[in-house]
Amino acid sequence: MFVTKSISAEHKDLIHDVAYDFHGRRMATCSSDQSVQVWDIGEDSEWHCTANWRTHSGSVWRVTWAHPEFGQVLATCSFDRTAAVWEEVVGESNPNHRGQNHWVKRTQLVDSRTSVTDVKFAPKHLGRNNIILRIELCVVDIAVRLQNEISCKMNCSCISWNPSRVHPAMISVGSDDPSTTGGGKVQVYEYSDGNRKWNKVETLMTVTEAVHDVAFAPNLGRSYHLLAVASKDVRIIMLKPLRRAQSTVGQHSGVTRFEVRQPAQFDEHNSQVWRVNWNITGTILASSGDDGCVRLWKANYLDNWKCIGVLKADGTHHGPGHSGRSHSSHVVGTSATSGASSSSSGAAAGNSSQSSTRVRFTVSPVTDIRVDQKYSVFF
Amino acid sequence: MSGLFGSEWETLGSAAIRKPKTQLSFTTSMGRTMHIELETPANTLSICRDASQVVIAGRTLFKIFCIEDEEFVERANLRVGKKNLNYSSVDVVWHPNDDNVLASAATNSAVITWNLGKASGFKQDHVFNDHRRTVNKVCFHPRDDMLLSGSQDGLMKIFDLRKKEATITFNGQSESVRDVQFMQFQYFSFAAAFENGNIQLWDIRRADKFYQQFTAHNGPAFSLDGHPEERQWLATAGRDKSIKIWDLQFKPVLMHTVQTIAPVTRVKWRPQRKFHISSCSLVIDHTINVWDIRRPYIPFATFEEHKDVATGVVWRHDPHIFLSASKDCTLYQHVFRDAKRPGDKANPVGVDINIFGDVCHAASDNLGGGSHNRGTTASYSSTKVPSFFRKNPEPEEQTRAVCSNVYVFTNKQSRFSDWFCLSAMKYKLSDRPFGELCDHNAQVAENFGRHQICQSWKMLKLLSAPDVSSSTSATFFAIPTTSDKEDKAVTGTEVPLMRNESRTDTNMGDSTGLTSENEESETSDVEHDRAMTSLASNIASHSVFFGDGEDDLLDMYRYDYSGNETTEDWHLPTEAFQPRHEIRDRSPSPDQLQQVRPESPSSCNDSETLSIHNQFLSIPTSDNINPMPMSAVISTSLQPWQFKQIIRDMLHFYAEQGDVQMTVSALIVLGDRIRNLIDETTQELWFMSYIELLCRFQLWVVATEIIKLSNHHAVGALNQASTTIHTNCNKCNKSLITSGWVCNRCQSITNTCSICHHVVKGLYVWCQGCSHGGHLHHIEEWLKSSSWCPAGCGHKCEYS
Repeated sequence: MFVTKSISAEHKDLIHDVAYDFHGRRMATCSSDQSVQVWDIGEDSEWHCTANWRTHSGSVWRVTWAHPEFGQVLATCSFDRTAAVWEEVVGESNPNHRGQNHWVKRTQLVDSRTSVTDVKFAPKHLGRNNIILRIELCVVDIAVRLQNEISCKMNCSCISWNPSRVHPAMISVGSDDPSTTGGGKVQVYEYSDGNRKWNKVETLMTVTEAVHDVAFAPNLGRSYHLLAVASKDVRIIMLKPLRRAQSTVGQHSGVTRFEVRQPAQFDEHNSQVWRVNWNITGTILASSGDDGCVRLWKANYLDNWKCIGVLKADGTHHGPGHSGRSHSSHVVGTSATSGASSSSSGAAAGNSSQSSTRVRFTVSPVTDIRVDQKYSVFF
Repeated sequence: MSGLFGSEWETLGSAAIRKPKTQLSFTTSMGRTMHIELETPANTLSICRDASQVVIAGRTLFKIFCIEDEEFVERANLRVGKKNLNYSSVDVVWHPNDDNVLASAATNSAVITWNLGKASGFKQDHVFNDHRRTVNKVCFHPRDDMLLSGSQDGLMKIFDLRKKEATITFNGQSESVRDVQFMQFQYFSFAAAFENGNIQLWDIRRADKFYQQFTAHNGPAFSLDGHPEERQWLATAGRDKSIKIWDLQFKPVLMHTVQTIAPVTRVKWRPQRKFHISSCSLVIDHTINVWDIRRPYIPFATFEEHKDVATGVVWRHDPHIFLSASKDCTLYQHVFRDAKRPGDKANPVGVDINIFGDVCHAASDNLGGGSHNRGTTASYSSTKVPSFFRKNPEPEEQTRAVCSNVYVFTNKQSRFSDWFCLSAMKYKLSDRPFGELCDHNAQVAENFGRHQICQSWKMLKLLSAPDVSSSTSATFFAIPTTSDKEDKAVTGTEVPLMRNESRTDTNMGDSTGLTSENEESETSDVEHDRAMTSLASNIASHSVFFGDGEDDLLDMYRYDYSGNETTEDWHLPTEAFQPRHEIRDRSPSPDQLQQVRPESPSSCNDSETLSIHNQFLSIPTSDNINPMPMSAVISTSLQPWQFKQIIRDMLHFYAEQGDVQMTVSALIVLGDRIRNLIDETTQELWFMSYIELLCRFQLWVVATEIIKLSNHHAVGALNQASTTIHTNCNKCNKSLITSGWVCNRCQSITNTCSICHHVVKGLYVWCQGCSHGGHLHHIEEWLKSSSWCPAGCGHKCEYS
């Protein structure tokens, strides 16, 4: 079971994002109070704040770690229309923060004309060749270059890199445009080496509500991609690349086609879902919403996604029985046994009541009519 | 002076009566967001007493509009007649009590009053030419016929509108005046903002010196605004991107700081909302923000209609409607219900899972179940926050502040990382016979309670271990599927070779191998009886491969590995009569194949291998020695095909399940049995994924082993890349620039052993201090007796 620990972060306003580093031993939080805090797990397995510094002149929406191969590097993005990359400097003493590590701003991206809503480092394997990067980290001077730009023609709120190594570089972009008529709110782009640009390969037309977060699951050798979407509900989208026709000789000439399925959709949060995150193997999805809960989801061996735990904001947690409704698109018999579940942690999922009725999500009217604007994502 | 004020005391009374009326008159008005295009950029705007008309002015613009419910209607254009610099206004202000009187500040240093009551089109009333430079700001006294001006020349003047002359001049003895404003609740006071960031408070009865001065901003202070209700509150804004709220009661105390993203040119309190203030920016930010000063980080509301920076904001005495002028040549009326609320878009939660399955959750304490305001108070009592937070925030203030609580849910039970890491370390993937590896790994899985994995290992052993019966051993070499040509290419070339060696002198090979190759003693730990023959071939293969294998580390590993593979293939019990077939089968081209293999294992000719298979297949039929009937051959030759499909499906299954550890481990253990059934990219994906997982858990040793065992060129390349060791030449002590072991400077090979003076192939160990070194075992021996460098350079070597 989970052991809950409260951390007294000295942020003076909302914390918008938390991010663990690659090895799970450091954590960064960013807040509207314009600062970022870095936490390290100590010998006593407690989290200690080792750095706290002001990063932007506006709310810091997101913080993300780079692959440790590039050093201890963080990227932040902010309401002040900039994104910045920070590197931890070891050995330099900072008189202002005694005992605290020193983070130096390595670069700042000032190209955006609106609030920068998300920043993500490209997967490591893309980080070394200088073609397809969101933010390219040169080994020598950690310079960041503006590489590429996609005009999404929508209000982008979040992006996610596909971490898969063998597939062409792929990102998914979500929009938090509140109008529900604008069509699909999640777009998937793929980089084409052939003509050196990003092609839109898919628009998820089923997602029409404002999207707050998207997350590709770690691929780990799967033949398909799993994309979690946080909107008014949690959705899990499966993108299975269809084999290219043999006739296309050049490997990168064609655009990959996908078979798109939606294995799961949950509205247990009963409110806006703000964040989705996968575990390391892409088998458990954590979602967090306005109800103040973290809900953990896992698929059983029949690809039937179930809630396996609810973690409350006040530090308590419940087992899956707490909310047994599952809104999977699959109709599954109740003879599910957990024996085939590959991970013992998920074995408990089987005993929740399995009503497999599919609940349709009703669209609630949006009161505010806001001026639609054209945004673009900067690369 | 005394006469001046005496007369004004009378008007004060009437103004005080009139004032509430103006506020009442518009509380019921409901406007809508609307705009009108102007010809030129606007610098400033002002509304009349009842907020029904607006005057807007700019460099080449001076107009009055009536504000209707649905639109702006132009009422007058004050720029009539000859072009005149007096028309070019920096600031304009409507008389607070007289709808017919306007005052404007011009770029040419003039202060002009306008009388709209004039019958003619020319409304200009009087021009004061008292300032020497551009006048930045004019301000009427709220209750009296006094006009205050602040100019670039650093002076502030009070004009008496009845006398039509400048009656008092104030010299700030500072820099240019950017803003002046009468204090609403103190009849004789006004405040002025200066270009050097200072704020001065003046009493108009004392023209010689300000009564208060403080530095409010770093860089120019652009704007100030007294709070409409709180008598002592003053808001200031400056180029340092901040809006500051001061309490002037005794001495100025900074109460709140709002940090914005751009220099702030104008601030204006929102009427009837104690904590709200609107602002517009000098550059960058085209929006008009309304801030709640208690939450100084996110604008309470933003209005994004303008395409260029807004230059002026004026509220229509109503907290929901205001007007703004902008450089984009528009005049807008904004309605609060059309505002964007960035605070709503700001997500109140953050969540992440780390590799151990711990969940970190940061959530706003306003959210469901968040009854903890402990975090709020904690943050305010923190010593880091400015002093104003420490001085007992009002209860209302406290409730407004939003804070997040951070919880870490540590996963204590059935952690993925536990079994993953331990399994990764405990799995045995090579150096043992196949069946043993499977058994061992099954046991490892069993110990972690992962029964499915355990079963899979056991079934793997059953399905592909060829020692189930003699018949399957035969079929292993006689698989007639077209899909595993490469498999046969490798096994077909190596196995006959091994057999050849071990067959020629069956037990002699064993004994000599064991005695001569002591370094292979760990292999002799394997004490399966039936593995004796395989042991022989194992040792034989090791000796063979070590003999010629010193050229490249990776190649050596590959040989090593393939040698083990053949071991596993070969340790099956065989019938005494079978060798004959082998010898005959092998005859086509074992030597030729062996020459080909090291360069490119898969380059074997398909037809050639196929022919081998045909011969394999033909053996049982042509030879009576083999006891198996024809039907048995057919059945056994089909079975492995099915098994391989099943095994392949199993690998894919685990991969899809996210258990790439099982997939990769099984793939390595199975080796060439299954390799050719799975395409290269998929294998690479699996390997890479597993290696990355191992790296995340910092299991570098296991990761390296996987790379080593992968037998996949792209994966294997990982070990050859991304690690750089900088070395010095051990002769001239200059750093080696080129890769390899030749020093550019002294043109000699640097990796000779300091003890035996031979070039070291394989493991080379050297001292970081003096760059001398040699064979690992030589150096080890040397260091037992001496700690000085064996090369005699006098360095006390350190090998850590």
